[in-house]
Amino acid sequence: MAEETRQLTLVLGVIGADVHAVGNRILEYALSEAGFKVINIGVMASQEEFVNAAVETNADAILVSSLYGHGEIDCRGLREKAIEAGVGKIKMYVGGNLVVGKQDWNEVEKKFIHMGFDRAYPPGTMPQDAIDDILRDLGFTQKC
Amino acid sequence: MQLINKKLDWDKFMELRQGVLNTWPTGQEVDLEEAIDYQSKLPQDRRFASKLEAAKKEGITLAQPRAGVALVLEHIDLLQYLVNEGGADLLPTTIDSYTRQNRYNEAQAGIEESRSVGRSMLNGFPAVNHGLDACREVVEAVKAPIQVRHGTPDARLLAEITLAGGFTAYEGGGISYNIPYAKDVPLERSIRDWQYVDRLVGYYEDKGISINREPFGPLTGTLVPPCISHSIAIIEALLAAEQGVKSLTLGYGQCGNLIQDVAAIRSLEELAEEYLGRFGYRDTVVTTVFHQWMGGFPQDESKAFGVISWGAATAAMSKATKVIVKTPHEALGIPTKEANSAGIKATKQVLNMLKDQPLLETIELKNEKDLIKAETRAILERLLEFGEGDIALGTVRGFQAGVIDVPFAPSRFNLGRLLPARDHHGAVRLLDFGNLPFGDDIKDIHREKIATRGKAEGREPSFQMVIDDIYAIGKGMLVGKPR
Repeated sequence: MAEETRQLTLVLGVIGADVHAVGNRILEYALSEAGFKVINIGVMASQEEFVNAAVETNADAILVSSLYGHGEIDCRGLREKAIEAGVGKIKMYVGGNLVVGKQDWNEVEKKFIHMGFDRAYPPGTMPQDAIDDILRDLGFTQKC
Repeated sequence: MQLINKKLDWDKFMELRQGVLNTWPTGQEVDLEEAIDYQSKLPQDRRFASKLEAAKKEGITLAQPRAGVALVLEHIDLLQYLVNEGGADLLPTTIDSYTRQNRYNEAQAGIEESRSVGRSMLNGFPAVNHGLDACREVVEAVKAPIQVRHGTPDARLLAEITLAGGFTAYEGGGISYNIPYAKDVPLERSIRDWQYVDRLVGYYEDKGISINREPFGPLTGTLVPPCISHSIAIIEALLAAEQGVKSLTLGYGQCGNLIQDVAAIRSLEELAEEYLGRFGYRDTVVTTVFHQWMGGFPQDESKAFGVISWGAATAAMSKATKVIVKTPHEALGIPTKEANSAGIKATKQVLNMLKDQPLLETIELKNEKDLIKAETRAILERLLEFGEGDIALGTVRGFQAGVIDVPFAPSRFNLGRLLPARDHHGAVRLLDFGNLPFGDDIKDIHREKIATRGKAEGREPSFQMVIDDIYAIGKGMLVGKPR
């Protein structure tokens, strides 16, 4: 089946005014090792940059990181921007230290799912957990 | 005009100043002479530089947290709590990330949303938006000196407002607040903008108002070898001193191996004195700051206290003048005031228990100091060559060539070819030297030490080893073991 030999394309970046570069570097490495084509737009990426990169590369998913606490403000409206750009159905994942202060994770997760993300990940998630989810969500049973 | 390390002409400064103060309405509130008058009336116990000098003379280590929230009254409440309950010796005002990127409109939206939802939506205090009077309200409300801590490549307006607002210390520098904190800001620009900040501080000094300046030591906080952060600290010390700065605190972020960390703090102070003296800056006072582990933390709070306490112990044993304290919420982001205060208490308990114990003196410590000094001198001397004797010019050219290189930095003006990894004893060494100007004598020491670890773990040193090291402390170890 064609689907099984296709390489999945992921747009990866750190949103807003956030400059945390280390995890971004590790994710790029881990996702590439797992066989994905990774379009890494790096740190301090705007919502427009995420959506434009996804449109240009016909990406399968957008992966948003936020480590500095402004994630709640920065991520709001990303799904709507994707819809406007005609890629409204693209899978969206978000992870990191998404809010200011220690808050109940279930509440935080709900907030981001409500915003239009398919999945949200708490601090300390290992790259492999997200890799497994992405493959499953996109209909792959094993490593692509 | 070519960038050089030369004191900014006052008329030129005043010309630039008009533009700086016009970038946001609160800039108009600043009147330099009135600001000097205000600063001169602050009580001695609010002055950062004198408290640091006293601690250095006494041979003790002061504890300082990081903290900042969006709204003024909540920020005051936070700082008061950290002094009264936590026992902080020195206070911060950490600035939010929008302000750091000069995105004052977004900071304003963050302030308004914080008001409406009743909790801070920003990761710091937006001092530019709040303006002069709010800064003074903060300074007058707490009985400890306060430093502005941020991560701002262009921090000129923030400096104007906060120094006029009564803060007595200002963190940052043209390299240390650019390379780890920005993606697209040319070094020429950030160094120039920080010459402005240092010239402003120099002007306060001329008028008898001492403002402490602190280059940001830990850089990316991720396996940064001491020679890299030392080189940058010393460059920024030379740049600041040229503009008239007299009180300098140089920093280093904990790597985790006791011998390396103590050697780093001791050698940092000695190297700084050496270079400041060589370039004729003889009346600057150098103190040191040790940052507790800046990398990934364990989520478990008890384990986090273990990391915090080890940082406190190392700070005390290295006789650093102050230590920047982490909190048990570190793995999860911005801490509550209770968690922040708990970190300070754990730290001070250890500092107090160790303050009377003498400095370590062993052959291993001497060897490590000698190695750090040789590496740092190699980098600085090559930068001076590149700049034809001028350190500002040499720095810009040196970054292009990768003669100085910061691991894991977001800036595209950093070559990013270094690959650090821990050796068998947990000290941070280099797996890939990039273009650092080291001779084989230095390189062989690194290669041998990393090879010893590779052998013990039965694997070839590679990027996977580096990743394992980055996650290690969060997972309860120092040296990252194979999965």
